[in-house]
Amino acid sequence: MLSRVADTIYWLGRYMERTQALLQTLRIQYIASQDEPQYWGWQPLLLAFGDLSEAELARRAPHTPQVLYHLVFDRENGASAYHNIVRGRENARAVQDHITKEVWQSLNDYYHLIRRDEVAHLTLGEDPVSGLDALLQQGVLYVGTVQNTMPRDEGYIYLKLGKFLERALQTLELLRLSQHLFEQPGEVHSPELRYLLFGLLGYELYVKTYQGQLDAGSVLELVLYNPDFPHSLRYSLGQLLRYCERLKDKSRPESFEQLRFLIGKARNTVAYSTLRAQPGVALGPFLSQVKGELLDVSSALSSLYFGG
Amino acid sequence: MSNPLLSAYPHQARVWDEMFQDGRVRPEYQPFVSAIAGLAGPEMTRKDELAKKLFMSQGITFTVYSSGEGIEKIFPFDIIPRIISNSEWLRIEAGIKQRLKALNIFLKDIYHQQFIIKDGVVPAALVYSCPQFLREMVNVDVPHDVYTHIAGVDLIRDHDGEFYVLEDNLRTPSGVSYMLENRSITYRIFPDLLPQSNVLPVKDYPDILYRNLVALADRQTADPTVVLLSPGIYNSAYFEHSTLARLMGIQLVEGRDLIVHNHFVYMKTTRGLEKVDVIYRRVDDEFLDPLVFRPDSALGVPGLYWAARKGNVAIVNAMGNGVADDKAVYCYVPEMIRYYLNEEPILKNVPTYQLENAEYRELVFKDMDQMVVKRTNESGGYGMLIGSAATDAEMADFRQAILSDPRSFIAQPIISLSSTPCYLDGKLQPRRIDLRPFALCGPGGIDIVPGGLTRVALREGSLIVNSSQGGGSKDTWVLGG
Repeated sequence: MLSRVADTIYWLGRYMERTQALLQTLRIQYIASQDEPQYWGWQPLLLAFGDLSEAELARRAPHTPQVLYHLVFDRENGASAYHNIVRGRENARAVQDHITKEVWQSLNDYYHLIRRDEVAHLTLGEDPVSGLDALLQQGVLYVGTVQNTMPRDEGYIYLKLGKFLERALQTLELLRLSQHLFEQPGEVHSPELRYLLFGLLGYELYVKTYQGQLDAGSVLELVLYNPDFPHSLRYSLGQLLRYCERLKDKSRPESFEQLRFLIGKARNTVAYSTLRAQPGVALGPFLSQVKGELLDVSSALSSLYFGG
Repeated sequence: MSNPLLSAYPHQARVWDEMFQDGRVRPEYQPFVSAIAGLAGPEMTRKDELAKKLFMSQGITFTVYSSGEGIEKIFPFDIIPRIISNSEWLRIEAGIKQRLKALNIFLKDIYHQQFIIKDGVVPAALVYSCPQFLREMVNVDVPHDVYTHIAGVDLIRDHDGEFYVLEDNLRTPSGVSYMLENRSITYRIFPDLLPQSNVLPVKDYPDILYRNLVALADRQTADPTVVLLSPGIYNSAYFEHSTLARLMGIQLVEGRDLIVHNHFVYMKTTRGLEKVDVIYRRVDDEFLDPLVFRPDSALGVPGLYWAARKGNVAIVNAMGNGVADDKAVYCYVPEMIRYYLNEEPILKNVPTYQLENAEYRELVFKDMDQMVVKRTNESGGYGMLIGSAATDAEMADFRQAILSDPRSFIAQPIISLSSTPCYLDGKLQPRRIDLRPFALCGPGGIDIVPGGLTRVALREGSLIVNSSQGGGSKDTWVLGG
């Protein structure tokens, strides 16, 4: 496969996963902002996903529609959902002959959907949850179309590598935003924990697995180590390794060995850690270490496979 | 005609209408007309809207880039097909094959022994003054002596029903993907109508093209690699490039994906370098190799020319074809047919005045309002003046330009172009059309898929069908015999 094509498909996977993570987080945060008397505010999210100056951030943070506009529809914001979708679609257009027509169409539809005035109107005015749902649904349609129509060839592997690398990075980012919850003394039952789980689509699994009250320790365990939870770090890294293995006969041997080494290293860093929620626990350094290792994987892909 | 849509259709004097003759429907249109006879206005409008929706959702669009963001535009499609009878098609097909055969020999001749110049059939000055004549191609052999692998010959029909050749696009003609897409939209909006009318299929085009491309590879290569070289996603025909690459199952590459090493062409892949044997390029000659042609080109591949010259890669269409579709050389195509093939041309040329000739120039200046003046090396509806629609100032500008560089202009009498009904604003309205069939020349001969792209001038009264000038297209049906 052409290096340029592999690179483009990999980034398509990343953009689309990033879009889903952003929209899902926004949806849950919006609900929290309506339903939670002690809502913690939009500032952390704006910091993580926006590109506003401090003064601008402080000015916009109290106004929900402005926050949603900036993070979803703002064409000037390089990290907005709109921007991600446009880039995802541009990438898809550049590799149209390596993805199926159906995948291209679902991305094209996604692009036309987010440009529609009614969607913006719904999200910013009438009912943000319905607006975000409409977008999320189109994203899920894309995921299903990939699953159902794409041949399991090299392109698919790069798409998946991009997807799971991005997912692991997004999970790390959400954990970082909620870091304070895991470092407080005593049993913590903060409502924020519930919204963290909702944001990662893991609340139902949590309830089934732990069947009791929400506590920070169990939430951390689920998000870091649960092998069946598709948004846990361990799951994402396991998938990353799985797709990497499939590159074996499609790469130069030395490139493959190095990539597998780096992914294996990141996975083992997570798998062989024993983090528990307690005061003074080293969650921050741990998250930074894993993030650093994932970024190494990303640059290895770029230099060894994409001719970067 | 019970359908009010049909009965309200206006008749135009001195224009050949493809569907109607003296108020009656022509025989080739009868099955179609009887199938839509029961459809009232709202149903046709629904079909029209459905077609637009299908085009949009499939991303069959042009992208116009402004302020860094693409604006999507659908290539306008009219739902009423253009229908050609079998006997008419056979004549068109024979005429195009004859013409391409002669043009291909002309290219081989002009870049080798130049018999046609020595025998005084085509003036040497004309050939050597053509900017598309590439001295770099002189005495260069191309695989199987095929130059014009893909040609899109533009045909128009005058008021007497006669077909004329307007241009032989021999460089990188585009539009074939719209021919394929138009057909796939038609069978969705008019179920069962295609088989009932015995319409010949166009879907074989990618298979024939691929077969021809593979045949050009060095015969010692067992499993040749064929690629399509595109300028990239910002090119207005990018949709076509990716469609063709997908339909043929070949790699779509850009200049930056290729590298020449030791006079062989390779593409950069995730597994290292991979040799390329045949390049179907959609990049113009002057951008192909910055070491030989334009040094500022970022679309080409340094060293490509020498790799081709050594016979290590086949380039399709061959470089230097522009000399054969120069609008001044065009006048000599009938002579070429007589000279090389000893046959009478089946398809006529539009009478053309070369403005280098002072006598013609005077004649044209006198009747400029009845002439179309064109630059010899431009296409796409640019660089032309239609006398009947031009202002005095525009005519004066052209006169000035012609006098300063007469070799670069030709003039032709205005041909009225045939019209056909289009479904616009809920009514059938006559609009002017042309026809671009696509011919594929390979080592085994010339193939033409039955049909082509019918382009429509959608503005009322307009004679310009180019998409860049507000044109659209129609599905083209050739009926089986």
